[in-house]
Amino acid sequence: MGSKLREPVYILGVGCTRFGNLLETPEIMGLSLHELAAQAAQEAMADAQVDPKEIDAVFLGNVTYPTSLLPATYSQVADWLGIQYKAGVHFDAACSTTNVGITMAATGIAAGVYDKVLVVGLESTLSQPKYLSPYERTTIPTEEMWLWTDHCVGQAYSVPQGYDIFPTYNGINALGYCRKYGISLDELEHGLFELCRTRRLHGSLNSKAIRQETLEQEAKRMGFDDPWEFWNSRFNPHVAWPSRLYSVVTPADGASAIVVGRREGASVSQPVELKGFGISVMDLPWYGDDPTVMPIDTHSFKKAYDMANITAKDIDYLHVHDCSHIMSICVAEESGYLPKGQGLKFAEEGRLRFDGDKPMSTHGGRHAFGHAWAASAGSDTYEAVKQIRGMADARQIKPFPKTAVIHTHGYAMISTVLVLNGGN
Amino acid sequence: MADSIIKQYYDALGKGKLLGKKCKKCGAVTFPPTTACKKCGSNEQEWIELSGKGKLLYLSHGMAPPPNPRFAEIAPYAYGHIKLEEGVFVQAIINGVSIDPDTLKSYYERGPVDVVPDIMEVKGLNVLAFKVM
Ligand SMILES: [Zn+2]
Repeated sequence: MGSKLREPVYILGVGCTRFGNLLETPEIMGLSLHELAAQAAQEAMADAQVDPKEIDAVFLGNVTYPTSLLPATYSQVADWLGIQYKAGVHFDAACSTTNVGITMAATGIAAGVYDKVLVVGLESTLSQPKYLSPYERTTIPTEEMWLWTDHCVGQAYSVPQGYDIFPTYNGINALGYCRKYGISLDELEHGLFELCRTRRLHGSLNSKAIRQETLEQEAKRMGFDDPWEFWNSRFNPHVAWPSRLYSVVTPADGASAIVVGRREGASVSQPVELKGFGISVMDLPWYGDDPTVMPIDTHSFKKAYDMANITAKDIDYLHVHDCSHIMSICVAEESGYLPKGQGLKFAEEGRLRFDGDKPMSTHGGRHAFGHAWAASAGSDTYEAVKQIRGMADARQIKPFPKTAVIHTHGYAMISTVLVLNGGN
Repeated sequence: MADSIIKQYYDALGKGKLLGKKCKKCGAVTFPPTTACKKCGSNEQEWIELSGKGKLLYLSHGMAPPPNPRFAEIAPYAYGHIKLEEGVFVQAIINGVSIDPDTLKSYYERGPVDVVPDIMEVKGLNVLAFKVM
């Protein structure tokens, strides 16, 4: 198997909507999914200084059909972007969608087939069209959203038998982590509290995040002077003991977009190179004796590092899929960015903050930035590109990172790793 | 009518049997059964019956209401990570265990315990759950 891109491939531009609720959040309230996608795509094309006519192909991803009713989305959305008579495809890799789209674009570009590809991810996890209306939407119950989302997982033997994401991707992993490293349940609880504080701090510094209130501010609003007391209150119940609600995903609506292309002929001044990528997939069960390591991650990191010719020591900024905070620690340790068994300690010491020495998920991650399935990986890439360019505002990492690694878990399970490099 | 592996698996569950496949090439057990060996990819496999005996390694719980409406009446339920005697892993509902933090903590502190199948019929479907011995 070839493991190199034959030509250098660049991220020329990035776009991302605010993540929120189409029924409530001011910046996106009332938008249709066509308009939501266009908001992200037009930002990305403007950022890349690319005219819609220069786009050779549109790869558009969406996961949850019942909330979008857009099964061949690209052909509909392309019209809304002024891109006609070009190649296109609707695809999905669940929560890895946008970044898998980047790798598909990269292989087409490196092979000489395309010069510029627009990758778009869009998702609504909170509402669905109201009685086939083109613009009215109605909210959906959380369990219904999970029923549809779980279509991505073990439909033969797992989902019909009572599978539930929270024990499988939170509770059991947390217990495995404690047992493996001799960490007490009290230490786990405090570490996860500090990790949430860090993610929420990042969200508070990001105008596109769904949660822009720090944990301390929310605690105060709910009548708690001490955020630790709030953490242990009925407002933060166990979703899968020992994991609590504020250690998991915040479902959102949103869209993200990326223009991928060659350096030649691109007018943008700060392209970021896609140095390598790795993808590895498997269905349940995702782990064996040790719930802290999914073998797919070991494979996808190795493939990506080999293609990019880097080691974990070269990483200046890391995002790993963090819709489960404890899994994000496990994956960051598996990536080599954090030492084994030390991730929660690093969180306690503030080292994972944007101003720490091992910054992670500076946009706020799945809990504070929010999670809009097919759009989320693109939001991670968006953040990494902004950080590399020194355009991340109040949450800017200093010195600006040069090498960024982005890992996502597409449900389920599509482990995807991108290595980006750029900056001066 | 073609023989569906999935249908045969669920029918066998109704008779109290756990069916898997054993690879004729490498000997690996694939459970639950599929059309190829999970280890080597060969499609030359034969049916085997698993003992059902296993160790419950970790125990947590699911949400309520549950994602799958089939389980609405029994959620929230205990849910565990199990290693079967044959070396394969399965996650399943654990019957007869309360999901309050103290109980779950006591299981964590105890370490792995023996479990056996406790197959239920839930709204017309045979479901492989387990119980602690
Ligand atoms: Zn085999």
